[in-house]
Amino acid sequence: MLSETAEAILLEHVGKRYLLNLHKPDALKTAVLHLPSVLNGRQRWPFWALDDISLSIRKGESVGIIGPNGSGKSTLLRIMSRISPPTRGKVTVQGRVSALLELGSGFHPQISGRENAILNAVLLGLSLKEARERMPEIVEFSELGDFIDQPMRTYSSGMYVRLGFSVAVHVRPEILLVDEVLAVGDAEFQSKCFAHIDKLRAENVTIVLVSHDLWSVVRFCDRVVLLGQGRIAMDGAPQPVIHEYLSRIALLADLPTPISSSAPGIEGGTRWPS
Amino acid sequence: MCAIALRELRRTWELLLLLTFRDLKLRYQDTALGFVWSLIKPLLLGAVLYLALRRIARFDIPDYHLFLLSALFPWFWFQTSIMLAAPAFAHNGNLIKKVHFPRFVLPFSVVANNMVHFLLSIPILLLFILASGERPSPVWIVGIPLLTLVQLALLMGIVLLVASFDVFFRDLEHLTEVFLNLWFYMTPILYPLDWVPDGLKPLYFLNPLSPLIEAWRKLFTENTLPGPELWVSIAFAAAALALGAGAFRRLEGGFADAL
Repeated sequence: MLSETAEAILLEHVGKRYLLNLHKPDALKTAVLHLPSVLNGRQRWPFWALDDISLSIRKGESVGIIGPNGSGKSTLLRIMSRISPPTRGKVTVQGRVSALLELGSGFHPQISGRENAILNAVLLGLSLKEARERMPEIVEFSELGDFIDQPMRTYSSGMYVRLGFSVAVHVRPEILLVDEVLAVGDAEFQSKCFAHIDKLRAENVTIVLVSHDLWSVVRFCDRVVLLGQGRIAMDGAPQPVIHEYLSRIALLADLPTPISSSAPGIEGGTRWPS
Repeated sequence: MCAIALRELRRTWELLLLLTFRDLKLRYQDTALGFVWSLIKPLLLGAVLYLALRRIARFDIPDYHLFLLSALFPWFWFQTSIMLAAPAFAHNGNLIKKVHFPRFVLPFSVVANNMVHFLLSIPILLLFILASGERPSPVWIVGIPLLTLVQLALLMGIVLLVASFDVFFRDLEHLTEVFLNLWFYMTPILYPLDWVPDGLKPLYFLNPLSPLIEAWRKLFTENTLPGPELWVSIAFAAAALALGAGAFRRLEGGFADAL
């Protein structure tokens, strides 16, 4: 039961299937020549990136999502941000979502940082008026100074992400979805970003953070979800979940047992319980 | 709930405007002639066609340059919009995969951008008309917005349809280019509709552009408002919009995964 105030994000038995093409994917010729098999999907094999995920995230909670590469973390974030719909199950999101899946998506190098920032802010969910109002804050936070009116092709990559981050956190979302973007800029700018995320947490913004950086997960999250092969392997307080993740990695790291030296039971042990 | 919907509608509109202005600015940035380029293309084509068809093939049409230009300018809006909007989703994969926003603004901003170029070319046409001793009439004030609206609706439908399918079949971009080249000759741009033999007439009423182009020409060169034949174009525009919106709705969910 979804109560009006408690849940920000509710996933019920969510599955995401990708159809991987066996042949060259998008040529019209192939499609026409193989029309019957394309239509019934015989040419492609299904891959479930997410399988039966049920997850409820309360308003104001900050949840970290961890797991090895390919475990479905980014797919999960894409589904929460409505960029890509689930194949199965139901997704309910309450509140204004800002998804930081990539900093400065859609920045154009030929126009100025200011123009890009306004367009980006509107893309991320602000009205034009709000975007203009927040420009002074955005410029100040980004530390770009007079560069803000220069075309973005003149920017260093650090300046680029600083502006991207600055726009993203000033959109003032109710739900902030973050994918691996906290590691931007120099140490000083990073600590400023961290402070800003703390501020958002204090303002009761719901945060979902996908990261390989376990330190920032511990730093920002009340709760951690461990994904493995598209399923939830563990869900709970940060310490035990991260401990479980690390012990799984340790198990994998123990792997270099040569096949010839037949250690009994090692086959079962190296595989992940999923 | 209604307030949220209204807010979203407004934001979508603002996004469309921002993208349109950005592209207008980008298109001719760092070029010495700037906006003039969008005039040179139809004017040069017009000059060559005038030479080939009026002076050499000796088409017996008075003021053939006005006859040509009054159809070429709207045609250029039509053709350029479709060609540039066809890959509007496919070429913006980085944006579509990373941000949730109303995606239809991408092809629509291309159409809007080219509409601005078209509207700015009308004064040039007016200069040619004045130079030939003709005068514009107040019916332009009604006719230009009316025909612009019909062409806009037709274009929006077509680009939604083409750009949506183009995500999955990239060959469509090339197919569109070829098809547009053929379409140019099958539309009464170089010749009047009256010249088309009766046997071929049905073909011309299957073409949503022929009544529209004829209407533009009559408006600019004869100062007359379009007659009932414009309903053919309106019906086509409505059908294209319905078809385009339908295709976009069905396919949109797959964009992020396909790009």
